[in-house]
Amino acid sequence: MDEIVQEKPVEERAEGETDELERAEDQAAEYLDQLQRTQAEFANYKKRLEREREEFIGLANAALISKLLPILDDLERALQTVPDNLRSLTWVEGIFLIERRLRMILEQEGLTEIRAVGEQFDPELHHAVVGEETTEQGEGTIIGEMQKGYKLHDKVLRPSMVRVAALPRDKKKEEPE
Amino acid sequence: MGKIIGIDLGTTNSGVAVMEAGEPTIIPSSEGGRLTPSVVAVSKQGERLVGTVAKRQAVTNPENTIFSIKRLMGRKYSSPEVKRDTELLPYKITEAPNGDAKVVMGDKEFSPPEVSAFILQKLKADAEAYLGEPVTQAVITVPAYFNDSQRQATKDAGRIAGLEVLRIINEPTASSLAYGMAKEKDEKIAVYDLGGGTFDISILEIEGGDPPVYEVLSTNGDTHLGGDDFDQEVIDYVADEFKKEQGIDIREDRMALQRLKEAAEKAKVELSTVGQAEINLPFITADASGPKHLTMTLTRAKLEQLVGDLVEKTIPPCRQALEDAKLSTSDIDEVILVGGQTRMPAVQEAVKSFFGREPHKGVNPDEVVALGAAIQAGVLGGEVKDVLLLDVTPLTLGIETLGGVATALVPRNTTIPYHTSQIFSTAADGQTSVEVHVVQGERPMAPDNKTLGRFILDGIPPAPRGVPQVEVSFDLDANGILNVSAQDKATGREQHITITASSGLSEDEIKRMVDEGKSHEADDRKRKEEIEARNHGDQAAYSADKTLRDLGDKVPADVRSDVEAKAAAVREALKGQDVELIQRKTQELTEAMQRIGAAMYEQPEATTPPPGGGAAPGGPEDEGTVEGEFREV
Repeated sequence: MDEIVQEKPVEERAEGETDELERAEDQAAEYLDQLQRTQAEFANYKKRLEREREEFIGLANAALISKLLPILDDLERALQTVPDNLRSLTWVEGIFLIERRLRMILEQEGLTEIRAVGEQFDPELHHAVVGEETTEQGEGTIIGEMQKGYKLHDKVLRPSMVRVAALPRDKKKEEPE
Repeated sequence: MGKIIGIDLGTTNSGVAVMEAGEPTIIPSSEGGRLTPSVVAVSKQGERLVGTVAKRQAVTNPENTIFSIKRLMGRKYSSPEVKRDTELLPYKITEAPNGDAKVVMGDKEFSPPEVSAFILQKLKADAEAYLGEPVTQAVITVPAYFNDSQRQATKDAGRIAGLEVLRIINEPTASSLAYGMAKEKDEKIAVYDLGGGTFDISILEIEGGDPPVYEVLSTNGDTHLGGDDFDQEVIDYVADEFKKEQGIDIREDRMALQRLKEAAEKAKVELSTVGQAEINLPFITADASGPKHLTMTLTRAKLEQLVGDLVEKTIPPCRQALEDAKLSTSDIDEVILVGGQTRMPAVQEAVKSFFGREPHKGVNPDEVVALGAAIQAGVLGGEVKDVLLLDVTPLTLGIETLGGVATALVPRNTTIPYHTSQIFSTAADGQTSVEVHVVQGERPMAPDNKTLGRFILDGIPPAPRGVPQVEVSFDLDANGILNVSAQDKATGREQHITITASSGLSEDEIKRMVDEGKSHEADDRKRKEEIEARNHGDQAAYSADKTLRDLGDKVPADVRSDVEAKAAAVREALKGQDVELIQRKTQELTEAMQRIGAAMYEQPEATTPPPGGGAAPGGPEDEGTVEGEFREV
């Protein structure tokens, strides 16, 4: 921020003075370098902050929703195993409605289910828990979903936990890989 | 002039960090995590996958998924370590013509440096995305026990990944750097690193100076002991208990096991800060009698009992390392904890009782190595120098405003140099001078803080209160010298004061003032509320008078008398001590004032725009810049 000091031409100066000047020049160059670095860093930092802010606006709820997903899982597991003799009770029906409402609220916030069963396994979306040897489905096809995966807008919040079709061992050997 | 990144190339996870504004910062991965799993795979479609994505598909593709590649770096196929790992690792390990170990992935052979390079490439790409500029240079850490060929292999990995490896540094050295060890004096340091899958103990000698010289005196450890073993103990215990009660082994159900794994790790982490944790997994499994739930409370004591042997196993290597360094525990000056598992109080306790001193903690133990590597990178890049070590103001700086309130201009912990300014106004009609009283401290009322100086700015042309604009500027240079100036915007008249002793407080004094601020928080807030209520009340009554005067008989008589009565009530309340009464009366007056505006709109012949709302012209609510007012001198 200081003004650049006017300098005497080199030849007019005594030896000691030259040393001192050189030192000062070195230092000035070093400071300028530091300043440029800092400024560049700051400019990039600002750009990144801007980018991150945009991302955060869309994903502000991601952390909370991630924490709620296990509750949704549990509710789903509970409702999947309602004994048949209770199914007709309106009280049980009420619990189903509660689950639907929770799901609706989360969907309104941008939560979507990741499609799994029947799809080709994609590690960006799915987490393989088991590889199951089978000849009925093509290799890499998802044959079972053990836990639903979700996206919030475009971002994968949690991959689906899936079972994936694998070639049976004996058959694999025959394949000329 | 690209940035140099610091990389912790780990056995299970890797991290990357960079210096930013003099501080090392972890760069998040594109998936949003702070660490990247050290896993590489080639999918059935021939696509290369790295990190989280590779980990997710491991089960379907075990023979083409490589993890723990670090264990094979620079190793010969015939070495006992590789022999042992061959049995544990599911992928194929082969022998290269030169005798090195190689791995097979997607029908192709890869050398360990090539596989490591894939991980480095991902970290490089994440760093470039984060920094918004190309990255070509890096500092990479290796375990202290790595020999020359292992170090060379790591360097090669960097080169394959398109990174010039400026320096390979030891992990314990990086950790010491992150803790800022040995700036001046010589020290002997023990670095205890208990990570996910490996345990390392290193004894370092640091020769103080610029730059300090680090020497590894000895290392020891257990390459197959880590946090994952701790998790397994918890999983087994919970599963055994469940089996005892319900007769079902949930370890046989992959999904149930997955859920238990997550819950066990979460409980383990929680028990580092609380005494007991609940594992609650409804509908974990089912049998003919119906669904089964797993609920269990795990106490810290139980956890410590479960993993006691594992913690104990880390002590003999510590003893051996000391012996090899020809030192005893009393020779060790500092102990540093690295690795996520060192968050566990029982581990910290074991380390403390063995070395006889409190270990250093505070830096995130999962990230400390990468952070240290970034510091080394910063030093090499010429970025870490005294000139860039910026200071912060230890205490808040401000001025006194109406009612004795300390109005902050520079909040504490602001990085200096710093410049700020704010516009203030007068508190009374016709006031021609203001006093600028500069205070330092955390208390909201000026008299409770330390006075740094005061001066008077006079010659302000007489005007109704709130109209004059006085700009107060604080300029704090890199040495902590404070320059305060006040300028009347109308006349340009200026006064200033330079305060050199603004940081002349001792550490203790600063601490005391910060603590005092905290302990008086409740009282101070009450007092400040009271002052604010008074200021509001005063302002409202003043505005009411002024509005009535300005509008004259345009205001209907009934409205006028109502406002007058309410303003009088506020003034009456201001004489007393009842804050709530002041607030209530002020509120009533503000509401009555709104009726003036409403009444004005009802008069179609009114030509002058009526002042709306409760704010009077020139009042503080009108101008965003006026935040407080000076005391009358």
